[in-house]
Amino acid sequence: MNNKQFLTELSGKCQMSAEQAAEQIQTLIGVMENLWQNGDSVSLSGFGVLEVKKKNERVSVNPTTGVRMLVPPKLVLTYKPSSILKEKLK
Amino acid sequence: MDNKINLSQLADLLSQAGGMSKAASEQFVKNFFDIISQSVLTEGVVKVKGLGTFKLVDMEDRESVNVNTGERFTIEGHQKISFVPDAELKERINKPFASFETVEISEEQAAKLDKLEQSDASLTAETTIKPTTDMEKSKKASEKKEAAKPQVKESEKKEGKGGVKVLIWILSIILVLALIIFLLWPLIGGKALKDADKNAKEKAPAPAVVKPAPEKKPEAQPAKKEPAKFTLTKADQDKALPLFTVADTVNYKIVGTKATHTMVKGDMLTTISLQYYGTKKLWPYIAKYNGLKSRSFKRMPVGFKVKVPELANK
Repeated sequence: MNNKQFLTELSGKCQMSAEQAAEQIQTLIGVMENLWQNGDSVSLSGFGVLEVKKKNERVSVNPTTGVRMLVPPKLVLTYKPSSILKEKLK
Repeated sequence: MDNKINLSQLADLLSQAGGMSKAASEQFVKNFFDIISQSVLTEGVVKVKGLGTFKLVDMEDRESVNVNTGERFTIEGHQKISFVPDAELKERINKPFASFETVEISEEQAAKLDKLEQSDASLTAETTIKPTTDMEKSKKASEKKEAAKPQVKESEKKEGKGGVKVLIWILSIILVLALIIFLLWPLIGGKALKDADKNAKEKAPAPAVVKPAPEKKPEAQPAKKEPAKFTLTKADQDKALPLFTVADTVNYKIVGTKATHTMVKGDMLTTISLQYYGTKKLWPYIAKYNGLKSRSFKRMPVGFKVKVPELANK
């Protein structure tokens, strides 16, 4: 499902125009981004948790050349599906 | 910070930012995530512009080991949901760390890293033995150094270049050590040998990383200790003041002022303790007597007067 299909389905379900829905999606993502940047996590029952995690710096080795690289620490947005959703997978 | 934001809180924020009613916002957010979770199950992939891609990923069978029993078992193949954030979003999230870049580690640094890892390994092994006295620690530290050196040699040899420099360096250190041993052997040789015997038992389970021949150890230890300059005087003063042994530093009480010491450059509580009691270990009594908090240890200015307490057995 690409973005367009997603948009039409969402606008149909909420009974609003596609433009309106697109606008709301962007605001929603913006709101969530602010939360993530403050270190908060977004937790929704039935869906899962979206949160920012800090990955520590590490040394990685290029397997072909053997050159070692120091990979810097970074902040990554992670998603952990809820157990209800996982159950549905089986 | 570290708050968990739930559906209604998120809807509140959205209605403030997007101008929809609270109820409509909540419905919108609910639908938003419902569609994602349903479509990812039915269609396998959902792309949301600005957020990222949710995808069903097949995991193959793999073998694992039960941590408790050590039994092998297979984790059967299953599907899981992966999430890859949108590139732009990813960049914005990582903004605080954006200034960092991946750096290539030069071969010299790699050798250093090896050394670090090795000393780390031996450190963890040592901590399992038991708390050690200062002297033992310094000895072990010197062993570690020696254990690390051959490794450097090996890695440098592989490189070919720069190896000569390190070799010369190591050789000169060995030479200097030998000279010091030769000069100081009559003074400390006997005591060090005794100590080495004592320590040998404890060291037995210590890491196997110690590569140098074992008979080299007792020679190297007194020499390594010498640069610290404490050990020699300490050994002498221990004899002069048999009252204080290293082990029983908690068995004294303060009975009065022994002397007042004016700090000169380079003085530390430990050196004062060494000077007046013949052991570094009793510095906490001085700190306590002067009402010094751990923060102020390092900030004592030159000329600061330290009262040295008179200690008596409890």
